[in-house]
Amino acid sequence: MSSLNASLASALSGLIAEQGAMDATTNDVANVNTPGYSREQPVLVSSDPAVIGALTYGTGVTLQSLESIRDPILEAQIQEQTQAQGQFTSLTSALQQAQVSFTTSTNDIGTSISNFFNSINQLSTNPSDLALRQGVLTAAGNLADSFHTTANSLNQQQSSLDLSVVSQVNQINQLTQQIAQLNTQVSNLENVDQNAGSFIDERQQAIDQLSSLVDVSVIPTNNTLTLTTANGAPLVAGQQSFQLQTAVNATGLHDVDSQGNDITSQITSGQLGGTLAARDQEIPAIQSQLNTLASGLVNAVNGVQQGGFDLNGDAGTDLFNPPPASGAAAAASLSVAITDPALIAASSDGSAGSNGNAEALYALSERPVISGQSPSDYYSGIVFNVGNAASNAEAEQTASTQVLQQLNDQRASVSGVSLDEEAANLVQFQDAYSASAQVITTINDMMYAAIQMSTLTG
Amino acid sequence: MRVNPNPYVDILAEVAQTQQQIALDEQQIATGSSVNQPSDNPAAAAVLSQNASETSAADQFQRSLGSVQGEIQNADAALSSVTTSLQQAISLGVEGANGTDNAADRDAIATQLQGIQSQLISLANLSYQGNYVFGGTATQTTPYIADPTSPSGVTYQGNSGVNDVTLGEHFSLQTNLPGSQLFSNPSNSVFQSIQDLITSLQSGNGIEAAVNEVSTASNYVDAQRVFYGNALNQLTAQQTYLGTETTQLAQQQNAEGGADLTQVISNLTSEQTSLQATLAAVAQTAHTNLFEYLK
Repeated sequence: MSSLNASLASALSGLIAEQGAMDATTNDVANVNTPGYSREQPVLVSSDPAVIGALTYGTGVTLQSLESIRDPILEAQIQEQTQAQGQFTSLTSALQQAQVSFTTSTNDIGTSISNFFNSINQLSTNPSDLALRQGVLTAAGNLADSFHTTANSLNQQQSSLDLSVVSQVNQINQLTQQIAQLNTQVSNLENVDQNAGSFIDERQQAIDQLSSLVDVSVIPTNNTLTLTTANGAPLVAGQQSFQLQTAVNATGLHDVDSQGNDITSQITSGQLGGTLAARDQEIPAIQSQLNTLASGLVNAVNGVQQGGFDLNGDAGTDLFNPPPASGAAAAASLSVAITDPALIAASSDGSAGSNGNAEALYALSERPVISGQSPSDYYSGIVFNVGNAASNAEAEQTASTQVLQQLNDQRASVSGVSLDEEAANLVQFQDAYSASAQVITTINDMMYAAIQMSTLTG
Repeated sequence: MRVNPNPYVDILAEVAQTQQQIALDEQQIATGSSVNQPSDNPAAAAVLSQNASETSAADQFQRSLGSVQGEIQNADAALSSVTTSLQQAISLGVEGANGTDNAADRDAIATQLQGIQSQLISLANLSYQGNYVFGGTATQTTPYIADPTSPSGVTYQGNSGVNDVTLGEHFSLQTNLPGSQLFSNPSNSVFQSIQDLITSLQSGNGIEAAVNEVSTASNYVDAQRVFYGNALNQLTAQQTYLGTETTQLAQQQNAEGGADLTQVISNLTSEQTSLQATLAAVAQTAHTNLFEYLK
């Protein structure tokens, strides 16, 4: 048979459970603005009933756990999208900087090429005029400057991307260390069947940050997580983190090493992937086109120069210093070889007034001297390539940002703290608490009545 | 269905996106161009780069054309003076061929002709902007010097070179005729004919034949002048063409990269309206939750 004491215990369990549930609500409200926090829900179950004779009595309520509400599939999608967004964000930012040099201005390479050929056309109308010859030398100097400015800005950009690689690897190492520590804390708690909700949230937040840096693949193992890059280089295994290293390679840039292996080319996603793609592919592609343009132009101009005669009637010499044989750094090293305007080989027959060779020089502006294209056509091809790469990266960035935003939206709709909901919960728990308290008061009255009764009889 | 309880992130992203679009529109209005960096429209940026190069070349062709035109006009005028001088020489020769003239009269005429000869030399030594026009490509050497030892009375120091100047994408123009072709052509030499006339007047023999020779030379120079006349006509035509080309290039530039201001301003207006509406909506709705009412 039941007793008043048993009822008291039941009512007490209600008080305790509602208090615990209230804790969840309090914690949710407190963390309403905490990034990555997943709301907690109290899991209330009725306690095991007591069977006494033919009757089964309820024994109150137990707060089994405070459960963090989260959707693991959504989390995985968010990681993936965060990687893509990180990748295209750093790629976009690099390419947007690179394309500045290729925006039409008064001293971009295209304008300088035009001005150079224009000065030759003007010289052609009066080939013995020293002022016009000086004009050609000045235009040639400006052309060299334009190439330098663009080549230098690309080189600087590459160096600063290289610095970003090092700092991103450092960030990755800090995060993997942090995740390994959190793994320890989570498994310590979960091994004793405790709710590790807030540690898991913190770990998830760290994984999201890591995803924005590098392509992470997450493998859950019992109570803990193993993280690798998409290509299998280990980052975190349970409670241990594996540091990535950077080492300067032959070209003076930093390679990324994992356990002594060079994994630079395998990192394709995340900010580090984007930075590496910009540093190792996009920028070098632009540099190589610039070098082709510079060396093609220089070789063509020098070739024609050598076929003509200068103002003194001597055979023409190089107008530009010849580019390095490999063609590498041709743009950065472009320089004018002569300072005496008389040395421009405008003449085709050795006499001062002949413009035959100036015409031949001018004809280069329309001739397919660079990979089958005229200098200005080849340059506009570079403009297209640079613009196209930047525009594609921008489009990808916009797309991944929007997808990520939607996914975050979905995650928030599952895991986010709603103050309305919490207020309702608060009322609910408070009401239940008050009711339990009222029950205890009633039992108290009943107890009192029973005690009074015994006093009367006794 | 449960919704995202914190709409601020989304709203801020929307606001940022609208503001970014507004900034782009404002840039288009400020620059008047829809392609402000290559990534705005890579294909148009490439076309615009070529367009800039072609426009710059067309402007240069106009300038070069101006320089060439001056030289050719001067050469043409000089040739016109040469013809006039030769006509004078013919009149003098006809006068000398008159049977009533005695040796002294003919000597006097020959002296006048020597004056014309030196006039012709100075015309043939025409210089324009520091260059001798009729010396071939030897523009720094005086083309003709008087030379009593030469049968034609002059020595040609120039060469037979000619210059062509590119004045259009597919147009180049020969800008000079050398003196060796104009004045001392072996089969039609102006200087030889004048010298022959002087010699015949001095000797009294073959004056009429010499007059005919000068007349032939004069006709020859006239015929050569057609070259300069044609060149001037071609220059005028090319100038018109370059003007048209520049206009077309400007139209292409506008078509490829010009901002459609009506469209952009209309977009800008609707973006600003939408931005204001979003912000107003946030201001009105965002501050309420159940806690406000539970008191």
